[in-house]
Amino acid sequence: MAEAEEEEDAAPARPPPAGIYAEEQGLFQLLQNMLEELLIHKPDDPIEFMINHLKQNNDDAPRICVLGPPASGKTTVAMWLCKHFNAIRVSQETLLFKEVLMQTEEAKAYKERNQKIPNALWANLIQERLSNVDCIKQGWVLEGFPENQEQAWMLQSSGIFPRHVVMLYASDTVLIERSGGKRLDPLTQEVFHTTFDWPSDPLVQQRLVKPEDLSEQEVSKKLLEYHRNFPDIFHIYQKVLKSINADQPSVDVLSQVLAFVQTRHRSDAPFTPRILFLGPPGSGKSLQAALIAQKYDVINICCGQLLKEAVADNTKLGELIKPYIDSGCPVPDKLVLKLLTERLSALDCLSNGWVLSGFPRDVEQGEQLQKAQINPNRVFFFHLPYESIMERLSQRRTDPVTGERYHITFRPAPTPEIQARLRQNPRDEEENIERRLNIYHSNIKALEDFYQDAFYVNADQDPYVIFEFIESCIIKPLPCKKH
Amino acid sequence: MAAGEAQSREYLRRHRLPELLQRLGALLLFHRPERPREFLIQVLERVRAGRRAEGEFPFLLDEANVDAMFSLLDVLGQGHIRPAQYREALKTLGLSTDDLELADDVKITRRVFKKGMRKKMLESWSVY
Repeated sequence: MAEAEEEEDAAPARPPPAGIYAEEQGLFQLLQNMLEELLIHKPDDPIEFMINHLKQNNDDAPRICVLGPPASGKTTVAMWLCKHFNAIRVSQETLLFKEVLMQTEEAKAYKERNQKIPNALWANLIQERLSNVDCIKQGWVLEGFPENQEQAWMLQSSGIFPRHVVMLYASDTVLIERSGGKRLDPLTQEVFHTTFDWPSDPLVQQRLVKPEDLSEQEVSKKLLEYHRNFPDIFHIYQKVLKSINADQPSVDVLSQVLAFVQTRHRSDAPFTPRILFLGPPGSGKSLQAALIAQKYDVINICCGQLLKEAVADNTKLGELIKPYIDSGCPVPDKLVLKLLTERLSALDCLSNGWVLSGFPRDVEQGEQLQKAQINPNRVFFFHLPYESIMERLSQRRTDPVTGERYHITFRPAPTPEIQARLRQNPRDEEENIERRLNIYHSNIKALEDFYQDAFYVNADQDPYVIFEFIESCIIKPLPCKKH
Repeated sequence: MAAGEAQSREYLRRHRLPELLQRLGALLLFHRPERPREFLIQVLERVRAGRRAEGEFPFLLDEANVDAMFSLLDVLGQGHIRPAQYREALKTLGLSTDDLELADDVKITRRVFKKGMRKKMLESWSVY
């Protein structure tokens, strides 16, 4: 008997299907990026070009535009992003004063004469700077460009496509007030503010000067122009753009910007969801699983349900499981895993994808899942405060006649007749809830460490708000957290 | 169609890029290398070398595979297959059957099959 069991354990693992390999390695994105570059540059020798492109390995290098009205904090954001990603910052003043490009002299001449530099000239300067090796390798942050539709089109026709466009906004009054307090460090070009962002270093404090073109009149003029150009730019970069409120503490602005530029946009890559919902009892896992399964046609697998079905169907495994369920003892991991592996390798799960709730409950189970070649590609941890859990679970009732589930506060029974016959599942009695929660909490930290790329869901919200959040995490490729 | 799009499609067609990308994809999914980027670089360098006649193109099928293919087609073990089978084999691999002038009763031996296959595979890669 023991020998037979061992033989089954030693069965060779199935080779992973090509689909899983392609998904894990991001093959679609790899080839798509290469094709994009080929179409932008249309080299005469595509093979040579492709070899160089692959060697460069800059698919994840930042290509960001930071736009916004004057005094919205573009420079601060751009500098911070460049420091974080080790990217190159390109702005009006770096183009005119820091670099020596082919048309720098011409541009400076315009500035001397107090004339507006023509769009074509800016576009050329930007294009030349961005084709420099350091920009290609490290990525770039373009600050304050494009200013208008014409510049945007010119950038596009020279093959410059930002992957993320950050659009800062704030009300005009705030901006005018801010620009009054703006101060510049002539040495580092960093921007500070007399009220909101004062440097701590006294040496820096002494150096600060008021920027040149900053009378209230000038600022209002610039604001008007910005508002005129803004709708066109917004329209052009809609798909890769995010508006971020600049009227908040700069720490918040920066963290929102960072979260945004790390997201990957929705891609056409084929994707089979393999989703894990983990969380305390009563956090809404099964509800969300049902919603996802219904909308996206993935198979909804609830571990507890699976066990009960196996027993009810009298399968071989079911018979082994039955004594445990009957006596109320937890079913041994080995049996559960066997059942799960069988179910998750069925054809419908492999082709449609699946969502699993309630398993694994601890790291050992998680590791065994991994060993069985079952690797989820989206993991969600539901978070719910203790009081909410208690409220949700202790007030659960079931109608023994119809099987309908009710809740004393959130979904009361419609008639007093039904109300009278409602019963409570012993699992939902307070001391049992406490027990289940304690077990959950003792295991959860290790699980959170085990699933590094997991998403955290605030389960204390309206179910449809939660659903939208979960949905967006599933539909978009995983964010790029390399740095 | 906008001018830019027409230009791009023409570029793709001229350099046969869709076919190339498909082959790269096939090679990746078959070999499933741990580092796909490096693998692709190697494959493309082999294409470049093959183009300069400095090395072999990265064929998906090697000689053993072609042998096996012939054995599969030659069910009765007669040592030869029909031209129709030969054509089908080429079509399955996406190779062209245009310039095949074979009468219907000619017997394709293993040697002829292998030589023909190799020639066709070489041709298909030489456009790059």
